[in-house]
Amino acid sequence: MGEEKKYFTRMGDGSIVHMTEQEIRQDIEEGIQDAAKRGKIDPLTDDEKEKLYQIITMPGSIVGVEHGMQIVTSNDSGSDKINTKCGIPTSRDVNAMIHERLLGCDSVDIGYSDYNYKTVKGVAKREATVLKQALNYCTMPLFYGAMPNLGFYTKPDGPVDNWAVLLPEGKIEEALAAQEEAVDHAVRDIVYVAEQMNDVGADGFMLDTSGAAGDADFLVALKATEIIRDRFPDMPVEIGMAGEFVLGMHGKIKYNDVRLAGLYPHKQVKLVEQAGASIFGAVVNTNSNRSFPWNIGRVCTFVKACTDVAEIPVHANVGMGVCGIPMCENLPSDIVSRADKALIEICKIDGL
Amino acid sequence: MSRESILETAKQSIVEADEDMALEALKQAEESGIDLIDLLSNGYSAGMKELGDLFGSGEIFLPELMFATQVMKVATAEIESRMEPGDIKPKGVMVIGTVEGDVHDIGKGIVASLIKTNGVMVHDLGREVPAQVFIDKAKELNADFIGSSALLTTTMTQQKKIEELLETEGLKGKIRTMVGGAPVTQRWADRIGADAYCEDASEAVKKIMEWINQI
Repeated sequence: MGEEKKYFTRMGDGSIVHMTEQEIRQDIEEGIQDAAKRGKIDPLTDDEKEKLYQIITMPGSIVGVEHGMQIVTSNDSGSDKINTKCGIPTSRDVNAMIHERLLGCDSVDIGYSDYNYKTVKGVAKREATVLKQALNYCTMPLFYGAMPNLGFYTKPDGPVDNWAVLLPEGKIEEALAAQEEAVDHAVRDIVYVAEQMNDVGADGFMLDTSGAAGDADFLVALKATEIIRDRFPDMPVEIGMAGEFVLGMHGKIKYNDVRLAGLYPHKQVKLVEQAGASIFGAVVNTNSNRSFPWNIGRVCTFVKACTDVAEIPVHANVGMGVCGIPMCENLPSDIVSRADKALIEICKIDGL
Repeated sequence: MSRESILETAKQSIVEADEDMALEALKQAEESGIDLIDLLSNGYSAGMKELGDLFGSGEIFLPELMFATQVMKVATAEIESRMEPGDIKPKGVMVIGTVEGDVHDIGKGIVASLIKTNGVMVHDLGREVPAQVFIDKAKELNADFIGSSALLTTTMTQQKKIEELLETEGLKGKIRTMVGGAPVTQRWADRIGADAYCEDASEAVKKIMEWINQI
């Protein structure tokens, strides 16, 4: 008997691994069950599992979606990556044009290299000028984007006590109060920046990596969105998440009577809708110690549960270390294209 | 009451952060002649483990975990006061921080909290900590473990510097190191010679407890 056929795939850290059909199917199943258990959601159906297996094992380095299933892309910190990350000396308006005319993107955001609203506040009018310049050159919609990044409001960089220090010290009441205070500062800064971007005609506003500092961080995104949509109704907002569930750094924070801590994507999206956002960026963490079949099984289970209930477009985050994409600097196209295909054809996402 | 029932009460007292219940379990254990180390390890500590798992899946939150830690501290102190010095295995000392150039300390704070809840003495150096400071503080405290966090691909190289300084100072192998943070992987840990990579806070606790049992 010959050796059983093994298929090329990767681990969550990007390293190559060859797995048998049985090993792949087992990892898919385990990933699905992990998501179903954590999120208290339905597992994928047998047909969906089979489709996922076919996507993982199909020949060809890069795979594509079935004809007619192409979807749009939005992008976070996109306009800055060519310059800051790749070291190519281009301006952000040129980067936006490269995204539009060379890369075939459907939209991109203009973002500052220190990608958070607290930093941007100080240079907001200059940032608005950069956005305006890019808007003059591009046909596709341009967002302005950054992160709420509530952690930046803590001492010594910000005005409030650091709850990441207070909590381990057992100073719980102080930690909760600090988070609540930081919310007000962050919402104010974000709305101020949004106003500058609205003034120059931004097509959209991006709150990226929301919830990175926990439930209070997610509340910032929701409250800021509510105000922005009220004051600047012609400027849509995209809320992208930081992780698959909202970290309970506070634990008691609510929005519209729903406790934010512990919410998974299918529940996050409902609050994002209530806040008035137009696009939801779902995130599922990649486990770098597990295989792509395990990770993508898990991702599809979470994201499908989200798209099943969403009434606004869901754009899955498929960047480094999320939604099945390996945690490595240079993303392997074999895995990226398979993750995209699975998310589009199985989860019916609206965008990437 | 049976041993199992008392251990379960002790475990629940931690899960529910109920100090009165914790002290009641201790009283029952003494009356029933149950080994207090058994009560600590398989009762209260089992409760902490369950809480760690619940935290990892987003079912309980950090403040609740810290309330439970206070109860755990009370229970541990009560047991220690009844024991001879040396009866309770030392749980070790850890120095932890976010590396130089990196201000992201939320994850590091969670890891520090969870490890503390398991009785390890944790010295949190905060954020933007130069590699040399990790080493100096570890030497000063005679630490068993160093934990470093990096959220950026541009700052994770500082973790390598910590390993190099340990080598230079002849501390490699004497102080165990664990690395974590969004861009960090097992491959990175292997490459720089760190003793462990931990995917999340729960894994960090498991690894530390595994090491403590080897001390």
